[in-house]
Amino acid sequence: MAVSVNPDVADAIPKLVEDGILPPQLAPRLLRVARGELVSVHGELRALLYAGVLMITGGVGVLVKENLDRIGPAVIAVALGLAAAAVFAWVVRVAPPFSWREVPSPNLAFDYMLLLGVLLAAADLAYIEVKLTPLGANWPWHLLVVSLLTGLAAFRFDSRVVFSLALSTFAAWRGVAVSHLGTGIWSGEANAVRWNGIACGVLFVVLGLALKKGGRKAHFEPVAVHLGWLLILAGLASGLGESGRWAIYAAGLLVCGVALAVGAYRYRRFPLFAFGVIGGYAALSRMIVAIGDVEVLGCFWFFFTALLLIFGLIAAQRRMREPL
Amino acid sequence: MRADATQADRNAAVRSAARSWHKAGAIDEATLAAIEKTVPYDRVRVGPVFRVLLFCFTVFAANAFFGFLWLLFFQHVGSEQTEQTALAVAAMVYGAALVLLTEFQIGTLKRSQGGTEAATSFVALGALIAGLAWWVPDQPVSEMAALVFVISAVVLFGAAWRWGYPIYAGLAAAALLGAVACLPFGRVLWIVLPLLAAPLLLRLADSERLPPAHRDSCNAVLIVGLVGLYVAVHYGSFEISLVEDIGAFTWRSGPASSSDLLRWLSAAATALVPAVLLAIAVRTRRYPFLIVGLGTAVASLITLRYYVHLAPLWAVLTVSGIALVAAVLALRRYLDSGPDKERAGFTAEPLFEDLARQRLLEIGATVAALSPEAKTIREEPRFSGGGGEFGGGGSTAEF
Repeated sequence: MAVSVNPDVADAIPKLVEDGILPPQLAPRLLRVARGELVSVHGELRALLYAGVLMITGGVGVLVKENLDRIGPAVIAVALGLAAAAVFAWVVRVAPPFSWREVPSPNLAFDYMLLLGVLLAAADLAYIEVKLTPLGANWPWHLLVVSLLTGLAAFRFDSRVVFSLALSTFAAWRGVAVSHLGTGIWSGEANAVRWNGIACGVLFVVLGLALKKGGRKAHFEPVAVHLGWLLILAGLASGLGESGRWAIYAAGLLVCGVALAVGAYRYRRFPLFAFGVIGGYAALSRMIVAIGDVEVLGCFWFFFTALLLIFGLIAAQRRMREPL
Repeated sequence: MRADATQADRNAAVRSAARSWHKAGAIDEATLAAIEKTVPYDRVRVGPVFRVLLFCFTVFAANAFFGFLWLLFFQHVGSEQTEQTALAVAAMVYGAALVLLTEFQIGTLKRSQGGTEAATSFVALGALIAGLAWWVPDQPVSEMAALVFVISAVVLFGAAWRWGYPIYAGLAAAALLGAVACLPFGRVLWIVLPLLAAPLLLRLADSERLPPAHRDSCNAVLIVGLVGLYVAVHYGSFEISLVEDIGAFTWRSGPASSSDLLRWLSAAATALVPAVLLAIAVRTRRYPFLIVGLGTAVASLITLRYYVHLAPLWAVLTVSGIALVAAVLALRRYLDSGPDKERAGFTAEPLFEDLARQRLLEIGATVAALSPEAKTIREEPRFSGGGGEFGGGGSTAEF
């Protein structure tokens, strides 16, 4: 929806047509939008559909949790399976043919119905695993199964949202809660989780680069690479609080951060550049803070280096020319 | 706003519209270049990622510099009282210096949406408000709070007017509501003031005389005012005396009034206000009414579920979700079936919007909200001595 009526644009359009810059046939529609006479609710409808999917999956989650004994496991499992199958049947029916390239959604609801189907199927599998324990002590493997099936659905139906869910489910299989990234939940946790997180990150980055290089679903690359680098940097950053080995993690974070920033600068990858700068700066600051006299030295360090960084960033953005 | 900044803001609106036409494929590269040549823009701007980075590091640097100066020159200057007074004076002087620095960046350096000038203005306002608030004389907490709210509102309105940041206008309106809550009949004023201001704000939001930044500021104030109005009439807020508590700066339980009539009026208004806002949004095609109407509708449904247990939570969520999806699909079909896929000036087709940004948000929300819980990894404990403990041999306390 247009944020507001835009009289400046409405004034400019006739002048641009008069000057021969804007094709006259375009002007009426552009004018209607600028005057607020024609308003698109496309974004709002998408947001509401997304909210609807969240509410349905939330309701299903509560149903399974609260009515387990009353309804019975078989009924719940079958009902969830049928619901997921019904949604997938619709998705398969309207889906365009498969392509390794980006495929436009056939309609507004397609992406959200696919997400709903995947979530219902995942809930069903998780429920069956919890109640009937077919995998026994190896129950976490069901996360891998869900991740692979979700990934397949993402590739077949060309959904980046579902692909991100596949990656985060894979990380969950390795004990890494992607949804808790940046909330400090990793600090003080098992070393194994940290290294699993870093390994998942490397795998995602490699996967993303392979997709791009192979020209197969190359538009999935940013999802995999961004999530991968987030996992790598967050994994290393979580070690900065370790009493004995923080310096190793700080050095690793510094090297990775700087390398990422340099690479991102070269290839004009703006969010990755930001990740690298923040990671490198955090590592360097951790080293300085360890020297002692946190108050005065810390304030001086943070002022002086932030100032240097500001000038560096201004220079970098002049060369990188990020689109406005 | 300065005259040159105002002109630049107007030109930026046209160039931004042209870029969105280009992104949507309505115009080609050559037309975009011709428009950008015709509508010049002399401001120094940066892209969104650099803007966020520059903003954060500038806020960081500005606060660290103040801390550094304070620790070096002013700490331990005398008694605790003297030190606090010195801190307040230092904050005001520092805030004033940052105001000048912001002016220098916006004026001489011609920066706009560059991150650094927004950051210095942000720290300046924080320092000025904190410094000024310290001089508020000792009196009952609610009166002190009212004065601090008024100071904040004046400073923020001034900043929004001078520099054209809509967020400051919205915060100023919120501070004003806070100040009004301290007055007698604060709840009534929360209802009356937005109703009185709305027509004027709507007219200003369309005014050709105002630059886009000020028009957006009017919309921001309108949004805050409408939210304030809804809070004032909301049944839950009536039941816990939310507005009165904000005014008194206390937390007490109990309703705002013992009158049953007012309680019923509040319940009716909780249901009616979102409907009225959405009706106005449909009629006027105004974004503030739509966004507040949708938000308050959700809030009213949650309130209904909180006070009236019509059905179990899972049923409410699932049925509401299905109803929402069905309603959206029906609305989409209705809009698509109109002439040129329009009805009453609304269309479900994207019109020069940045869909990539919305998809990015959806991916972020999916990873944050829908990722499964991670499996628990148990690490073999390293030997640390200190006597025996349960849990050896791989057993756990869960059995």
